[in-house]
Amino acid sequence: MPPTSSARPSVDGIDVGPIVFDSGQIRNGVARLAAAISADHPDGDLVVVGILPGVIFFLADLVRSLSIPVELDLMAITRFGPPEATGGEVRIQRDIEAHIRGRPVLLVEDIVDTGLTVHHLMGALVPRQPSSIKIAALLERPDRRLIRVPLAYTGFQAPEDFLVGYGLQYQGRYRQLPYIAQLAPGDQPQGA
Amino acid sequence: MGVSSPTIVKPVPNPNPPKDFAHPIEAEFARLLDFYRIPWCYEPTTFPLAYGPEGAIAEALTPDFYLPPFDLYVELTTRRQSTLTRKHHKIRRLNELYPQVELRLLNRRQMRSLLYKYDLQDRLPRLIGAPNV
Repeated sequence: MPPTSSARPSVDGIDVGPIVFDSGQIRNGVARLAAAISADHPDGDLVVVGILPGVIFFLADLVRSLSIPVELDLMAITRFGPPEATGGEVRIQRDIEAHIRGRPVLLVEDIVDTGLTVHHLMGALVPRQPSSIKIAALLERPDRRLIRVPLAYTGFQAPEDFLVGYGLQYQGRYRQLPYIAQLAPGDQPQGA
Repeated sequence: MGVSSPTIVKPVPNPNPPKDFAHPIEAEFARLLDFYRIPWCYEPTTFPLAYGPEGAIAEALTPDFYLPPFDLYVELTTRRQSTLTRKHHKIRRLNELYPQVELRLLNRRQMRSLLYKYDLQDRLPRLIGAPNV
């Protein structure tokens, strides 16, 4: 879905670029995903696993919109970054406590672009023999995909712009915004 | 010049595999793959795209990376979109001649965004160049 507003909000002194998905669009997208997930799992017993930290707002809204009983759990892995801040290889920092053997799992991510994170977590969960693993992402960028990961539920296709808000951050900021916006033009990656 | 039939073309091992990365962005990409424990090879395969009259390869594409677990080739470019005509032509030709080969091109804009995502924006000038360069 293309950007729908050219407004440049300034909330609590935070300047960002145009809003790409406003809170109403997000709410409707989450409701649509929740309805589809609920319909696909009429028997319940679904284990919903959110990938910290970016997913927190999406996950909270999603699970509260589901009409089926679920067990909620969280995972976190180390982030890739500058060599001085990245400790070698990816590690699971927080693992789930739920027993998933024989149960359907829904892995929930805020945005999937390269697919590297989701692929790694799928690799960690599959050996625990869940009955199925599906992936739900609020946003996806298929043109940046390196690793093919099957997305069962997708809210929106994200534009190439660097996005912040509703869990998405830049240098640790902007996660709390109730909408998704472009990063301010002065901070946005440039170059065609 | 030209390949008369896709059936006679086949990828060949790169006869001169490089010992070092040609560009610092490639080293950074390799570091990303290592972080996620994704096995990779650097420029292992050359895809002939056209042959000269003597049968020598006249045009070829050697993708930067090959990821064996996914049977996927990856080509990185830091060049501006406006200067990528030749590269795009080669990739189109590769897709025609080797339809079974999966090649992903990560362009300059996509790599800039990834560097931002991974908090590596301080390295942009060294890895990609200034915005207007």
